[in-house]
Amino acid sequence: MSEIVYTSESELRYPRRFLAEAFADLRHAPGVAWRLFRSHAQARHRRTALGYLWLLLPTLATTLIWVYVQSRRIIAIETTAIPYPIYVLTGMICWQVFVDALNAPLQQLTAARQTITRSRVPHEALILAGVFDVLLNCAVRLLVLAAALIAFQVPVAATALLLPVGLGALAMLGFALGLLAVPLGMLYDDVSRALLMIATFWFFLTPVIYPTPAAGIVRLNPVTPLLDTTRSWLLGGTTANGFAAVTFFAIATLIVAWLFHRLARPHLVARLG
Amino acid sequence: MTNDAVLAVSHLSKKYCRELRRALWYGVVDTARELLPSASPLTLRAGEFLALDDVSFEVRAGESLAIVGANGAGKSTLLRVLYGLLKPDGGEVRLRGRVEALIELGTGFNPLLTGRENVGVGAALYGLTRRETDALLDEVVDFAEISDAIDAPVQSYSSGMKARLAYALAAHLKPDILLVDEVLAVGDAAFQRKCVSHMHAYLERGGALLLVSHNTYQIQSLCRRGILLDRGRITFSGTAIETLNHMFERRLGADDAMTRIAAPAIGPIVITDVLAEPLQSDEVRNGEPLRITIRYRADEPVDAAWGFSIWTADQWVCVCGASDLRRRSLAAGDGELTCVVPRLPLVGGRYSLRAAIQDFETKQPLALYGWHDAAATLDVRTDATLLANAQMQLNQLVTVEVEWS
Repeated sequence: MSEIVYTSESELRYPRRFLAEAFADLRHAPGVAWRLFRSHAQARHRRTALGYLWLLLPTLATTLIWVYVQSRRIIAIETTAIPYPIYVLTGMICWQVFVDALNAPLQQLTAARQTITRSRVPHEALILAGVFDVLLNCAVRLLVLAAALIAFQVPVAATALLLPVGLGALAMLGFALGLLAVPLGMLYDDVSRALLMIATFWFFLTPVIYPTPAAGIVRLNPVTPLLDTTRSWLLGGTTANGFAAVTFFAIATLIVAWLFHRLARPHLVARLG
Repeated sequence: MTNDAVLAVSHLSKKYCRELRRALWYGVVDTARELLPSASPLTLRAGEFLALDDVSFEVRAGESLAIVGANGAGKSTLLRVLYGLLKPDGGEVRLRGRVEALIELGTGFNPLLTGRENVGVGAALYGLTRRETDALLDEVVDFAEISDAIDAPVQSYSSGMKARLAYALAAHLKPDILLVDEVLAVGDAAFQRKCVSHMHAYLERGGALLLVSHNTYQIQSLCRRGILLDRGRITFSGTAIETLNHMFERRLGADDAMTRIAAPAIGPIVITDVLAEPLQSDEVRNGEPLRITIRYRADEPVDAAWGFSIWTADQWVCVCGASDLRRRSLAAGDGELTCVVPRLPLVGGRYSLRAAIQDFETKQPLALYGWHDAAATLDVRTDATLLANAQMQLNQLVTVEVEWS
């Protein structure tokens, strides 16, 4: 019979056991996450009159605002090769995937506070349920984008088949950074507020509503190559450098953040319960 | 850990901090310290205390252990460490086999999911296959008697229903070690009986049980051994009945800090002391003779009557008493009045003894003892028996002599 030992020592002292336990929890996670996601998706819209429309409204509203701002020349935005509404809509959808994934880990674990302080549900499952949610939202928005592409008669490049890869990379980056913020964010509410503020600034430093400039801080933004590449896969145009590097960075950060969260977990539970 | 133990706790300690801001900061520090390979020392930082302090015990397969103690004694913290939710700050826990826990009655459920889905989540965590999960669901629904509500979100359940579902799920996962934290307090008597008999069957099959409960009947029915926790330390370990007895005695002794104030002189006579002496053994016991003596000092001769009354330790309820209304001519100076209670009716526990000397004619009190000042303490001893514990549990105060037919 297997023996479990709990001591005050750091789990890192026994790396093999630490990793074995981490992967065992990860194996359980998708099944549990799927159940959570499915029921949440059903339960979420029970108390809203507009239901699933709320998945679209923020994206559509922001797109319309920027289309208006651009058409009235309220601020100078360089002209884009493709119709501006389509340009903004694709940018918004990509951005939204990133920002939803950024917020998902902390939101999921904070909402499940009761559960995680009293049961051993792997946190991986709760976070993964949040990722499923992000992907569902994205899928609904893509349907609207498809309708818009037809309406504006914008041709779609063959590389559009790579769209899931691009969106996946954006989700991964957001998710990795979001998970990194969880240990501190579970303890201090400042983190979730700061995330909101940072996301607003970040939006303006990302080529969502304007074409990518040749140089400057926007070029240093890790979201830029992912978003530009994903958009160019869909609509054609030159792909940006750095997609592979940022994706690799996102995966590495995700693994580190995940293992770090596992170390932090009992200390968080002790302070939340 | 001995060979047949399924759970061994040795020198377990856990620190806590009640100040939120400090606790959060310590959370950051402790998390950062995880990156260092050396274990953190068990030194208390500002604002910290030991919620568990050097706790050691073992539980074997088929054995059940009661964990008792006052609120805040560390019982729930102990179960959470054993369940792996919290990390020890000192010592170690060794577990052989799978552990399930019922902590605060089904709050581990996700309120948005239906009962069926929560059972599914529990089963998935336990690594059950789809077929096993279906079988489990039938057993759980059957046991919890909630077939009507199984497809409703758990947030719509009553606390009794949640407790039933939580117990049914944890118990039917068939763990090797089951930790139960006060969950059977909710739910009707019939369901509690069902749980108790289910736990008996579980123990017979070789399961190990740790039970935190304030229900002495459940403890006595299920557990052979017990430990008493007081501010994180094990202060007693023995049979379940002895442990309960110790807990009740501690509780009664808790308000021992009463100070004695000199009796105010309200008349020509003062009661200087009240004594209660056992006549048969060296302890005051139920059913045995007790002599009660009051000592007085009179400034002048008085014609008096006297009596005494026995009150609960908190002096709210008068349990019994007696008065001798015959004339006693007391001379000036120091003297004593005595009487014997042939068979003391009080059950085990702590009581207060008050006395009064009255004017014979008017029946107005001339001297009082224990009314405005501290009363004499009367400790009635009892053996740790099922009956004695039942009496304490019921707050029973006296016994009556009965001729059973």
